[in-house]
Amino acid sequence: MKKARLLIVDDEENIRFLFKEELEEEGYSVDVASNGLEAIDKVKHAVFDLVVLDIKMPGMNGIEALNEIKNINKNLPVILCSAYGEFKQDFSSWASDGYVVKSADTNELKQTIKNLLGVA
Amino acid sequence: MHPIDILGKIIAISHSNLEIASRINAILNIITQDMPFDEAIVYTLDTDKKLTCRYKNDKSVLFPLLNEYRSHIGEGIVGSVAQKRIPQGFTFKDVPPRLGCLFYPDLDGYIQKYRAFHFIPISDDSYLYGVLFICASSMERLNKPHNAFLSMVAREIGGILRSNQLLISSKKRISELATLSELGRVLASSSIPQDILNSITFIIAKALNAAFVTVRLSHSFLKIDSQRFTYGEIGSESKEIIKKLEMEVKNQEKTVSLKDLDTEGYRNTTSTSLYSAPLTSKGRFLGTVTIGGPITQSGSVMEGNGRYLIETIANYISSGLENTLLTTKLKDVLKELNSAQERLVEQETFRNLGEMTANIAHEIKNPLVIIGGFTKRLARKTRLDLTENRYIEIILKEVARLEAILDEVLNYVKESPMVIKDSKISDFIDELVFLFTSDSAWEKIEITREYANNISFVPCDDQQIKQVLINILMNAYDAMQGSGKIVIQTGLKIINDRPFASISISDTGGGIDPAIIDNIFNPFFTTKDGGTGLGLAISNKIVLNHGGYIQIHNLIGKGATFIVHLPIKNTTIREERI
Repeated sequence: MKKARLLIVDDEENIRFLFKEELEEEGYSVDVASNGLEAIDKVKHAVFDLVVLDIKMPGMNGIEALNEIKNINKNLPVILCSAYGEFKQDFSSWASDGYVVKSADTNELKQTIKNLLGVA
Repeated sequence: MHPIDILGKIIAISHSNLEIASRINAILNIITQDMPFDEAIVYTLDTDKKLTCRYKNDKSVLFPLLNEYRSHIGEGIVGSVAQKRIPQGFTFKDVPPRLGCLFYPDLDGYIQKYRAFHFIPISDDSYLYGVLFICASSMERLNKPHNAFLSMVAREIGGILRSNQLLISSKKRISELATLSELGRVLASSSIPQDILNSITFIIAKALNAAFVTVRLSHSFLKIDSQRFTYGEIGSESKEIIKKLEMEVKNQEKTVSLKDLDTEGYRNTTSTSLYSAPLTSKGRFLGTVTIGGPITQSGSVMEGNGRYLIETIANYISSGLENTLLTTKLKDVLKELNSAQERLVEQETFRNLGEMTANIAHEIKNPLVIIGGFTKRLARKTRLDLTENRYIEIILKEVARLEAILDEVLNYVKESPMVIKDSKISDFIDELVFLFTSDSAWEKIEITREYANNISFVPCDDQQIKQVLINILMNAYDAMQGSGKIVIQTGLKIINDRPFASISISDTGGGIDPAIIDNIFNPFFTTKDGGTGLGLAISNKIVLNHGGYIQIHNLIGKGATFIVHLPIKNTTIREERI
């Protein structure tokens, strides 16, 4: 079976690194982007099964990037992943498919990805 | 001595600075010394319309007898001369007994000493001041020069009496004005109502030489404990009558004096004069002021024009009380505004602090996730002994603890649950405008308010909606770089058959860049240096939580209008729908 391809978007290099390591261990193929514009560029030119998107990023923030990505491919699942829990209940109004509060414990992220890909 | 010289002396005396009694008595002495007259007496007309035998030559014999009784105008020869204002002369043969007045029984033994009696009215074109009475024993009739001389003397005495009356009335007037100005000063002061009222009674009592002054307020007025303010002693028998007077004043809404009151018994036994006047303002009865003083007391300002005086004073006190009421109200409002301002500043500080805390928490969270995440990985990848495993566990436990603390902080920052109540939106807009305009940084910003009159109460959490408006106003301020115009309007709009109250805030800050307008409600989106990007995001959330929404009209190059729509119940609409 072909590995599912994930795109991790975060401005913190070590978060990207951590998530990449953790998710590759789960058997995914992981690419990374450090901001919204780079993420959009990657989504345009490569095929992904799911995007994990930080909200607070310099340049283009996650919510803007989310809309752009959905414009390119509205079926591509996107999970918002932010250190800030304040807006967790609002994620559906931003057309995102999931919202995970960043934590050293990556189990919630892994579970959310699994659920979304399983449904897809 | 030649009559001309005598007249010269008289004129010199009448123009001197001597006291009135000294001047007139001196003139009467001259007449009796230098002319063939024995008695020279002057009656004056007093305010009670009676004639008083007041001035005389030193050697006068008749004065003590005539001074026994004060005759009315028209009574006796003196009264009739005063009434007709025509001089009258008699000889000992035709002079009426007791000079025509029965109340001079003691005159009987004296009149026959004299042969000529002459009465000259002291008057000018409009006013009678008194009567000059002359007796002579050396001749039967006064000749023409005598008559001419006496009429000139009478005119001179008239001049003295007139100028004295003017002096007295101007003194009265000055004292009235001084009292009123003193009252005005007290009433315009910002003292507490109790102090003002106590001062008022004191000033009036002193100025009018009154025995007592009492102000009674109607119950609802000023909301102060005491309803009566009194200066001076009120006798126990007067208390009842004052209450009656006050009742009468309240019923008739006009000045009432003791004389008007139908209490025969009391009136006859009392030696007190009483006036009570209503205090009214804009048709509202505020209370009464009552002034009392002994009737016989001379020099009391209350004599003669009591009614006029008390009404003037009552007018003063009324308008003063109205001012006091306004001042009291104003103080309350100011107090409320100040505390509202303090609350708002607190909230604003808290809000900024909240946003800052959220930001810091966010910034700490990332490194913490990295530390914890990699520690976990490290633990999985490496073979560790028991001690090393314990170290790892400690790190992970501490990371989890920190994460929990951060979550707690972030939860705390989240807005508290909504407290919905009917709030008058114009009130809290006024409050905000007051808050902002009292900040000198806002002095170049002109804020106009236009409130729709068909909407007043809106069910909302006013603290939260205030936060929303503060955010929008602060953004307007930033967009206008501290100078421009803000228009705040309220209105009513029916959307999908549901009524919404709208608060619109327009600025002249050039509008929002169309490239970013879709993002302005996104969290962490900001165009400001040091901005958190949470202000409008949270505002939007608050309004959405209320079941409303924020609408933006963007005029590029001119300004932006933010309209906050809040749902209202149909019953809160006061007038027809727009």
